[in-house]
Amino acid sequence: MSFKNAFDSGKFVVTAEVGPPKGTDIKEMLHHAEMLKGKLDAVNVTDNQSAVMRICSMAICKLLLDMGLEPILQMTCRDRNRIGLQSDLLGASVLGIKNVLCMTGDHPNAGDHKEAKPVYDVESVQLLGIVNSLNNGKDMMGNEMKGSTNFFQGAVVTPEANPVEPQLMKFEKKVKTGAKFFQTQAIYDIEKFKEFVKFARKFPVKILAGIVLLKSAGMANYMNKFVPGIRVPQDLIDEIKAAGKEGALDAGIKIAARHIKQLKDEKICDGVHIMAIGAEDKVPAIMERAGLL
Amino acid sequence: MIITAKRDLQELMENIKNYKSFFLIGCSECASLCATGGEPELKAMKETLDAEGKKITGSFVAKTGCQVLGTKVELKPFKDAIAEADCILVMSCGAGTQTAVELYEDKPVYPTNDTLFLGNMTRLQMFDERCSLCGKCILDKTGGICPVTACPKGLLNGPCGGTNEGKCEVSPDIECAWVRIYNRMKRINKLEDMREIAKPKDWSAHKKPMKLNIREKKEEAKK
Ligand code: SF4
Ligand code: SF4
Repeated sequence: MSFKNAFDSGKFVVTAEVGPPKGTDIKEMLHHAEMLKGKLDAVNVTDNQSAVMRICSMAICKLLLDMGLEPILQMTCRDRNRIGLQSDLLGASVLGIKNVLCMTGDHPNAGDHKEAKPVYDVESVQLLGIVNSLNNGKDMMGNEMKGSTNFFQGAVVTPEANPVEPQLMKFEKKVKTGAKFFQTQAIYDIEKFKEFVKFARKFPVKILAGIVLLKSAGMANYMNKFVPGIRVPQDLIDEIKAAGKEGALDAGIKIAARHIKQLKDEKICDGVHIMAIGAEDKVPAIMERAGLL
Repeated sequence: MIITAKRDLQELMENIKNYKSFFLIGCSECASLCATGGEPELKAMKETLDAEGKKITGSFVAKTGCQVLGTKVELKPFKDAIAEADCILVMSCGAGTQTAVELYEDKPVYPTNDTLFLGNMTRLQMFDERCSLCGKCILDKTGGICPVTACPKGLLNGPCGGTNEGKCEVSPDIECAWVRIYNRMKRINKLEDMREIAKPKDWSAHKKPMKLNIREKKEEAKK
């Protein structure tokens, strides 16, 4: 079943992330992908995440496709101008990649090539519009194309951004320019998340809650301090602390599974996007405990 | 004004190591206010080069170093001193440096400064970049705050996910341009305008090298 059909079927959709490595040794990544095969509705392949140079998302999407997984091509506006983006979208389309996640992308300053020229010729809202026009047989300049794309396109949103109003205005713009699904920044406070969903439900889009696996109390504190738009409540940090060093990862898995189960049981959103960041092999365990396998 | 900063002295010395005598050109406008090319800086440069055993044949602070014709006239009395120098050092911006290149075709010309940005002077010797000369101004749509310049990603449709309590993900020293625009729009009762979707920017409005000939335009209008 395609990613889009999974939403349409009304099932609780589950996606996870695969990060292409730096270098050509893809054994470990393929091993993770193999573990996820048959369990997920789609696999999100990051695009030079955190502005750290790695294998391009498109190549890995194609490999996953050949393995029988359903890839989502992440596309940032950091490294390619409008010609490059459109050309890559057409390329992805002929390779059989059906889903694309449009984002602005972390600034090169965050990564390992700080001297790079940031491109941002267009940005996420505009990229969604571009996908829309390619889907309708025209490039962004209105030139007719021989054959159109047929992408199912999505975007990201940070429900806990502060201030949140401009973020929600941008969310609406993304809906208007064609986003069909949204993947959120990591959420840890389900009650607060419900407020966002109440707003988002006014629009005909699918919402995947971002679930980032907490691997230690230190990681939670770090994110609270340094990652914009992520807020791990103190009681969760205490829960991980109480589990001790040995039990921290397990406590993190338990929390993730508990949140997923609640989101599903209470039908709060349409699914989840699990980001295990370096512990991709734990995704099946999270799903199992959430009652998804 | 054009903001400049002194280049690393070692780098400059490396550039000019094969020359013995120099003529210095400063600028009384931006470079003076940036303390990179006014009288005191020219004096300090003379002392530095003296100490390195180099000879200064003369020096002059041009009124407006980016004005080619005016600078040419101003420098006429220094013809001999310039002829005597192995090399010209320009202590203004990249534009001023290239004025000298145009005027002295046979003479090596080196910049002593790096040219940084078009800046507003907020206090004495404090400068902020507010406009990056994009060629098609959108301040009318953004409450008068320029996201092309103030947002490190130049975003046109609102804040990215990295916006953080009013700060930018790139550095806590940067105020998020889009939170500033949001606050400003709210204040001037224009928040609804922020819902308008900005189209991709027309970068052909700034095709390098830019040129403007007002004279030609006037003459055309007369015809
Ligand atoms: S929109 Fe362009 S011209 Fe206007 S202030 Fe910004 S950079 Fe300058
Ligand atoms: S945080 Fe604000 S200023 Fe910084 S890149 Fe994002 S939108 Fe631009």
